[in-house]
Amino acid sequence: MPVLTKDMVASLVATGGSARVNEAVTPKFKKGDTVKTRNPNPTGHTRLPRYVRGKVGVIQSDHGVFVFPDASAHGKGPAPQHLYTVRFTAREVFGPEAGAKDAIFADLWDAYLDPA
Amino acid sequence: MASHRHSDPPSDPALRVKALESLLTEKKLLEPAALDALIELFETKIGPRNGAKVVARAWTDPTYKKRLLSDATAAIAELGYSGMQGEDMVVVENTPAVHNLLVCTLCSCYPWPVLGLPPVWYKAAPYRSRAVIEPRAVLKEFGLELPESIEIRIWDSTAELRYMVLPERPAGTEDLKEDALAKLVTRDAMIGTAKVAGPSR
Amino acid sequence: MNGIHDLGGMHGHGPINSEANEPIFHAPWERRVFGLLFTMFSGGYCNVDEFRHAIERMAPAEYLSTSYYEHWLHAMETLLIEKGVIQQRELASKWAALGKGQM
Repeated sequence: MPVLTKDMVASLVATGGSARVNEAVTPKFKKGDTVKTRNPNPTGHTRLPRYVRGKVGVIQSDHGVFVFPDASAHGKGPAPQHLYTVRFTAREVFGPEAGAKDAIFADLWDAYLDPA
Repeated sequence: MASHRHSDPPSDPALRVKALESLLTEKKLLEPAALDALIELFETKIGPRNGAKVVARAWTDPTYKKRLLSDATAAIAELGYSGMQGEDMVVVENTPAVHNLLVCTLCSCYPWPVLGLPPVWYKAAPYRSRAVIEPRAVLKEFGLELPESIEIRIWDSTAELRYMVLPERPAGTEDLKEDALAKLVTRDAMIGTAKVAGPSR
Repeated sequence: MNGIHDLGGMHGHGPINSEANEPIFHAPWERRVFGLLFTMFSGGYCNVDEFRHAIERMAPAEYLSTSYYEHWLHAMETLLIEKGVIQQRELASKWAALGKGQM
């Protein structure tokens, strides 16, 4: 494995490493679709926070295909799939005490979502 | 899966990092000068001044603003900012009716190329736990009181997209040039925990 | 995992302590930890998801009572050992040797 040298630093930082995957994967959803987040309780890594599990939201945008962390964190490869921003009303997530107009947006992968 | 530790580490983190650095250097897996260069980059070149320039450009150039809101990564790269922890950027716009607030409830995701490294409070439990459930109380602690009529949009960076808020241009800045505008823009205004104040008189 | 890192919506963590004119790093060792992270990635010892998960696997009480860069340090030690890049006993000897030097 390459050892990071002083000469590599500037370009490494300026380039980074996108988690985007250039692979054609069929999206399960499109902008405007209503979705319900699943309620998995995996013992491994996931980026689906507890507070948005089992909640109904709307697909705000489809960002294309990205590495799926739940697989990638466990040596299971990139398992590429579509990543969406999902809009939830604050009241859907936190109940009637939450601000009537407020909304929470989370970036969620296909595997976290079901049609609603 | 729990971490298995066979002996407790020393309480002094300085000693622990020194041990790790020394071990990796002995194994020829680490060039300490590369670390120096990295640290220097983040201490001198990468920080919220970058984001402030993006904001000021968007305030003064409507076509740039349009590009920024539709393809933030490319628009930010036009000003020379790109890369690590900003590979895929999204910019969200504050308006008189909408206020945006950024958080990472799961860790500490933050747009490094435009804002630099996050402040401690952004990475700590109080902000991460509270921003999503009581944004108005959180904003009040930052001195920003928003009426119920304003829609608060909270963006939880759960994936590898990195967000930046495009704050509202304050009143009384019509005569200011881009450079002077950039000086008004604060880090917190680009996170959403503050608004940009007008020039002091 | 349903870990302590998943903080969204929790109560009881207290006020937000923002610091005026906060320095980028609060101690010299934090700077080194920050730099070492890139070695982890460029050396191919872990990816960002494994790194985050190593932090999440911290015991909850330890997670809450340690600072951000201590989380990173914990994750780097954990992963370098798990991946066989370094041995636990090598690290422990280093700790002992450096600890003596500081006496």
